[in-house]
Amino acid sequence: MRAAECQRGMMAALRAGLLTRALTKGKTPGISNIILGTRAASGPSKDTLPGPYPRTPEEMAAAAKKYNMTLEDYKPYPEDGMGYGDYPMLPERSQQERDPWYQWDHPDLRRNWGEPMHWDFDMYIRNRVDTSPSPVEWKKMRNQLLGFMGFMLLMFGLGEMFPCYQPVAPKQYPYNNLYLERGGDTGKEPEPVKHYEI
Amino acid sequence: MATYKEAPLATRPKTLDPAEYFNLSPDHRRAEEKRAALRAQLKRQYLQQLNNPHRKELIEDPALTRWTYARTNNNYFRPTAKTSLIGGLFGVLPLFVFYVVFKTDRDKREAKIKAGTYQRPYKLST
Repeated sequence: MRAAECQRGMMAALRAGLLTRALTKGKTPGISNIILGTRAASGPSKDTLPGPYPRTPEEMAAAAKKYNMTLEDYKPYPEDGMGYGDYPMLPERSQQERDPWYQWDHPDLRRNWGEPMHWDFDMYIRNRVDTSPSPVEWKKMRNQLLGFMGFMLLMFGLGEMFPCYQPVAPKQYPYNNLYLERGGDTGKEPEPVKHYEI
Repeated sequence: MATYKEAPLATRPKTLDPAEYFNLSPDHRRAEEKRAALRAQLKRQYLQQLNNPHRKELIEDPALTRWTYARTNNNYFRPTAKTSLIGGLFGVLPLFVFYVVFKTDRDKREAKIKAGTYQRPYKLST
């Protein structure tokens, strides 16, 4: 990460340097060179960085060697434009599944130095997605959860559409509909309110 | 070894995999030896750098550099049918969908307010 940031800073500085050189000295490099820039020699060389999808067996062998993998293990992602290039397709296993007792070089990441990293390595660290086997099969868990949630949603929805409750009537107040409590005139006789029918 | 049952939430370790004990083909062995050789070389490189008393700087990991480069520089993305479909579905369609949904919802509410039939759902004051 640090190396990439240093490299980008150097690239920007180099581009500025190229521009001033083009303006001050006589021989100008082509405009495409100034725009694309040249990389500093302090970073990784181009043959150690990921490249395009390997098409010939020689390219496959070179890519396997670059990523420190054997030729049998090295399998690139299928070329369908998603942008993987020649990056290897490693098994989708989280770091939590790796042996906790082995002396890894980076114990918290359970990874050795120089080992090829999975494309989704930052997803598979131990704080995040875990592909360890579950006590019950995944399908059973999923079906139970979805079945329960679906059933409850359905019943609540039906209850909203067809409410069913005991019959109710408006509330009836005594003392002539609470005439005095509602600020009625104490001298006047209120009209009688009857809540029943015989 | 034959009676070993996996721990409930752990995968079976590679050293207890029965395939490793009963698979005696020379090809398999050669492949395993190659892998072990690669691992040993990487380990040796790392430990040499780690235990070097004159080392002052960080040990740079080229695998990490490659991973960062691959993830951040999308040089090899090509617009194909599949990628265009995904881009359209997740990038362009939500804009229009959200516009339509929010606009109709707000217009309905505005019409109700103008007609005087709108009930504020979470009204706390009297």
